[in-house]
Amino acid sequence: MKSRRKYFAMVVLIAILALAVAACAQQQAPAEGEVTEKVVEVTKVVEVTKIVEVQKEPEVTIPEGAVVIDFWHAFGGGRKLLIQRMVDDYNFTHPNVFVRVENKGSYRDTLNAAILAAQQGNPPHIVQIFEVGSQIALDSGIFAPYEDVANANGIDFQPEDLIEGVANYYNFGGKFYSMPWNSSNPILYYNKDLFRAAGVDPESPPETFEEMLAVCEKIVSSGAAKNCVSWPLHSWFFEQWMANMGAELANNGNGRDARATEVLLTSDAAKTIVSWWKEMYDKGYYAYSGKLEDWDGADAIFVSGQAAMEITSTSDVVNRQRDAAQNGFELGTGYLPYPESSERQGVIVGGASMWLSAGHPEEEMRAAADFMNWFTNTENAVRWHKGTGYFPIRKTAVQVLEWENWFDQNPAYRAAFDQLLATKPTKATQGAVIGAFPEVRTIIEQAIEKVLAGEASVDDALAEAKKQADQAIQDYNASVE
Amino acid sequence: MYPAKFKGKLLPFIFLLPTLVILVVFLYYPVIQTFRLSMYRVAFLGLKTKFVGLDNFVRLAQDPEYLNTVWVTLVIAAAVVLVGLGLSLAIAMLANQKIRGATIYRLLLIWPFALSPAVAGVIFLFMFSPGFGAVSYLTSLFFGIELNWLGNPRLAVLLVIMASVWKNLGYNIVFYLAALQNVNTEVLEAASIDGANSWQRFWKVTFALLSPMTFFLLITNITYSFFDIFGMIDILTKGGPLNATNVMIYNLYRDAFEYYKTGFAAAQSVILFLLVVILTMIQFRTSGRRVHYGG
Repeated sequence: MKSRRKYFAMVVLIAILALAVAACAQQQAPAEGEVTEKVVEVTKVVEVTKIVEVQKEPEVTIPEGAVVIDFWHAFGGGRKLLIQRMVDDYNFTHPNVFVRVENKGSYRDTLNAAILAAQQGNPPHIVQIFEVGSQIALDSGIFAPYEDVANANGIDFQPEDLIEGVANYYNFGGKFYSMPWNSSNPILYYNKDLFRAAGVDPESPPETFEEMLAVCEKIVSSGAAKNCVSWPLHSWFFEQWMANMGAELANNGNGRDARATEVLLTSDAAKTIVSWWKEMYDKGYYAYSGKLEDWDGADAIFVSGQAAMEITSTSDVVNRQRDAAQNGFELGTGYLPYPESSERQGVIVGGASMWLSAGHPEEEMRAAADFMNWFTNTENAVRWHKGTGYFPIRKTAVQVLEWENWFDQNPAYRAAFDQLLATKPTKATQGAVIGAFPEVRTIIEQAIEKVLAGEASVDDALAEAKKQADQAIQDYNASVE
Repeated sequence: MYPAKFKGKLLPFIFLLPTLVILVVFLYYPVIQTFRLSMYRVAFLGLKTKFVGLDNFVRLAQDPEYLNTVWVTLVIAAAVVLVGLGLSLAIAMLANQKIRGATIYRLLLIWPFALSPAVAGVIFLFMFSPGFGAVSYLTSLFFGIELNWLGNPRLAVLLVIMASVWKNLGYNIVFYLAALQNVNTEVLEAASIDGANSWQRFWKVTFALLSPMTFFLLITNITYSFFDIFGMIDILTKGGPLNATNVMIYNLYRDAFEYYKTGFAAAQSVILFLLVVILTMIQFRTSGRRVHYGG
């Protein structure tokens, strides 16, 4: 009996060892997909070490008598470094002001931290808040309208110089409550080598839903790639397509005329988008990692060559160019596709803006407003754009880039710009303002997930999602009124 | 024997004071606040509160999504506890044998426990990711099938269970090994002499003598599978796909910190608290009585 038990132990151990060896062997001789995954990992490690370097830097001493301005943001890695450098420049040229910049984690963390600090009576002067948090920021009552503070202090932030799409999003009832900062929207990235392999013209990426299906048919049937296109299963894309078709996401003029009380999820536009999404998925053209809001998963599918196209944020231009160079494929960019049944209306500006909290001494308010104006001026908008891929939010910044022939040297940026500049200013492309937006997003994503899995029809899933989303909005509105 | 005796009644309380202060500030006060908040509707991060009585609970009881969450929690917890305890007892039995290098095996078996749930979650995520994960690659290589571990609701539940069991295996094995080494071999010998076969010896003697440890592990594992599973879910599946792995603790986290529904989340927290209290009480009433403490 005892020896038999011993044998069993041996067998189990051998099995475990075998698995371990297999796993190691797997790592030593990776398939092509593995190689790219490794690359992604390595770049992440580099970013982390960079953060550590920043934290190790000695505390800069605050010059005596300087007005201290706290500025909280949600960026890590290279973006954090760039922000720090820009702030250092401001501090150097403005000896009577000291801006203390801090990273507070994710967008949500930053907003939570700022509201908590405000409750304790010590809010940071400037907070970066993501676009869907705009309504929450307005309702919180802890922020001062930026436009009023700027005007009262004789600071001209030249709102007429802001790119139309950007100005539209952050304009609530004709007033800028915050200063637009990092702005992006979705574009199509594609692998020109895989297009050639499938016999598709690499210089004309698909523009419509219908062309997308046709191109995908060629790519998948020719065996150039296993799947055709990837994007994260994220409500953001659904919202962008709604806008692109000129459809509003929420009632009361997308929540711009009055507080939104309903999400328009049962509209024809919504059904068209989800039906197409489902068709793409059923035919094996669309691939995602299986997880909601998984940006990295979609990137990995595209970069590893499993899909020939990816739809994702313009703020990834720099990253995708690097990935393409490292993996040896030629990158192309195009517009966000739209259905032929409607005209292309354009996209919503995503990203975040800078909010100025109320209740500080006059002197600090003036200094903070001045910093926000400086931070987003033409020169810094160009610098920010080149360092990250986010849009330069000023028309003059675009002119500077044109003079420098920036777009000719970096053609990948071209589509991103043209798409934004061609956007028609309507309530739909202005973007929805909904109090319970973070929750509504999850509801939309789960509905799409249900449709893709075949658990519910497009109509049923959207009707159910509308019910849930309306309830969420009602609860939110009841809690703040 | 040194019978402890304090001169006054005040002195012992002064000694206890630091502990009591910490308990009150960090445990009792938040618990009471949670119970209070569960009867309010709270605007994000408590800027405005409105008393709504038991409305939060009524709505939870009527919400099929929430009931599904409770069901998912119970299924995952039951699987994690049963599979986890069974497997770790089996491994502990094997590791308890007198074989060459036994200490090395024991050391290796305890490793998973030293990892944080986040790290364990990331390891499993890399192994099981569709497209580039090692497991996905091996299954497609040997069987020609590629399973979508993150996209298929049943497989995702299985993945979460596997990862959670694996993560807690080291902890259970340590305790079982310690208990096994305390089992009196004379009792086992006596049983052999009385003609008990190995199966009987295991169930009637070893397992019975292990019962205090099993009972202890049962309770810690239930707590683990109700609360500590959060990190694993957050990294592996985010509650998806189709809410298949949306356990109560994850659902309440999202309501509290992503959707700013503090009152609603507090109500869920109260329900979770009561559920675990009831489960623990049932255990003390039933299996607790059968625990054999003598040696």
